[in-house]
Amino acid sequence: MPSLPQPKQTRWRTARLAALLTALLAASLLMSACTKGSTDIVVSGSTTVEPIAEVAGEDYSKIHPEVSVLVSGLGSSAGIEAVGDTKTADIGTSSRELKGNELKLGLKVIPIAHDGIAVVVNPSNPVKNLKMDDLRAIFAGRITNWKQVGGADEPITLVNRDESSGTRDAFTQFVMGDTPFELNAVVLPGTGQVREVIRRTKGAVGYISEGFVKGGEVRALSIDGIAPSAANISSEKYPLSRSLYFLARKDLSPAAQGYIDYVLSDAIQEGAVRDAGYLPIKLKSEGQK
Amino acid sequence: MTPFTLRQADEQDQTLNPGMSPDLATTSPQHKKAELTLVSRTTQIKERALSLLFFLCAIVAVLGVVLIFAFVAVKAVPLFKDIGFLNFIAGTKWSVAQSKFGVVPFIVGSLVVTVGALAIGAPLAILTALFLSEVAGPRARAVIRPAVELLAGIPSVVYGFFGVTVIAPVVGRLFGGAGFGPLTAWIVLSIMIVPTIAMLSEDALDSIPMGIREASFAMGATQWQTIYKVVLPAAKIGIIDATILGMGRAIGETMAVLMIVGNAPQMFAGLTKPIATLTSQIVLGMGYASGDFQTALFGMAALLFIISMGLVLTVRLLSRSKREEGQGA
Repeated sequence: MPSLPQPKQTRWRTARLAALLTALLAASLLMSACTKGSTDIVVSGSTTVEPIAEVAGEDYSKIHPEVSVLVSGLGSSAGIEAVGDTKTADIGTSSRELKGNELKLGLKVIPIAHDGIAVVVNPSNPVKNLKMDDLRAIFAGRITNWKQVGGADEPITLVNRDESSGTRDAFTQFVMGDTPFELNAVVLPGTGQVREVIRRTKGAVGYISEGFVKGGEVRALSIDGIAPSAANISSEKYPLSRSLYFLARKDLSPAAQGYIDYVLSDAIQEGAVRDAGYLPIKLKSEGQK
Repeated sequence: MTPFTLRQADEQDQTLNPGMSPDLATTSPQHKKAELTLVSRTTQIKERALSLLFFLCAIVAVLGVVLIFAFVAVKAVPLFKDIGFLNFIAGTKWSVAQSKFGVVPFIVGSLVVTVGALAIGAPLAILTALFLSEVAGPRARAVIRPAVELLAGIPSVVYGFFGVTVIAPVVGRLFGGAGFGPLTAWIVLSIMIVPTIAMLSEDALDSIPMGIREASFAMGATQWQTIYKVVLPAAKIGIIDATILGMGRAIGETMAVLMIVGNAPQMFAGLTKPIATLTSQIVLGMGYASGDFQTALFGMAALLFIISMGLVLTVRLLSRSKREEGQGA
């Protein structure tokens, strides 16, 4: 081994540095292995449900300081997988119902709020109402100009969500059925981006949760003559209405159950749920079953 | 603990070594072995430990490549059984809902975006490099060089944001639609790859011996003739290297592309029609993907891996042929 003579100072500095780095590495490895508390409730899933779960989690931790609620928004499918399959979450959140293999996971499905999906256009667009069939034809690419549905002579620019979006799933279910989407559509990965692009593009049309149609940036259309109003959504008269869900395994911990009960209480239903632009679940469950 | 003993040993170096085990302290380590006579035993250990540390650090890179490739490959293997390799690599239809995972639209998308960005960015960058190396005076160079270098330091999400808020609306106003598509991606990506190509090309140009230029001038050639006929041919391989690395950057770019390309899983249909690339489609899907969908994404990742490996290999082969020809530095 070639050992060149070096100044003493440098030699021992290098050694100290090396030792320090090694110690730091070891320490960080140890720390990451040890930080798993027993009173964490992990909630993950739909970005639509995220704001509600987040606010409810903060408030719940104020009442029960020993519990901390960790909320992440990965999308509905990821949430279902996290609670049912990989068991990395205590509670999954979803903006769609379970489908296919997910039904076999044995999850408890708890509706926590109502949401309507608004079809939004640029405020300068004179069209105020669309028939369901026309809406489907627009997103299937069969209607390509607004004048075909009583608007100005303006080509339609389609704005779609990515395939993993719960909102897209719901839109597919309510509007498209088995009709495939037109591929020549801008696909954006978030509600905010959809709203922003429609705000600045004259002939654009897209869909977002009714809760995010705020201010005069974009305008929501009536579908078959029914406006996406709170009353119409909670009564599900508006054709693009859906519910938001919590999903839990049968072996739910008492802390997580407490959190779910808290989300269903008036404090959150009339607070965070309404603040996020959704509608409380109470109206429906009393009326139906 | 370790630094303390080392320090003690170091301060007492060449004398008693109280930090060492008693049997070593009594028999002076200098006389233990012939090759240890020059430096103390502690220094020997330190040296050996350090070279081991360096080796471990270097091996991390190798392990990283091997592990990541193995991981991607293992995850992509079900592709052959569940999707079918031909359906995947030659399929032109991508629809998760219909379980169709043809990636041709994304390969075409990646190619269109990369080739276009290179067509705009490479001349821009090479001319910049020529200006910096051959034309510019020291004062101009002092301004332009750091500016180009700074361009490399801007995070890609910022480029994407710039594309969404500045370029896309302009493209939308000029050509109709929302402004997402290859044209917007070309403009943004070509700026992104300028620093990579310009800096490496400038290195290549700077390594051309001054004597070649002087000989050209002595023959009565003008500056343009010298650049075009002498300097550029001499630096050719270095500049091609730089361009290939720029291509690697463009094809692997994800965040900025995701934000501006429109992400429509359709075949390239026009410069202002939205398309999708391999990278953007992986990001869009990865949060939610499961089953065959996930397999397809890993297949796309493996494809990207192979493409960039091919690019790196090309660069290596080119530099080897350059060395064999004996030109450049």
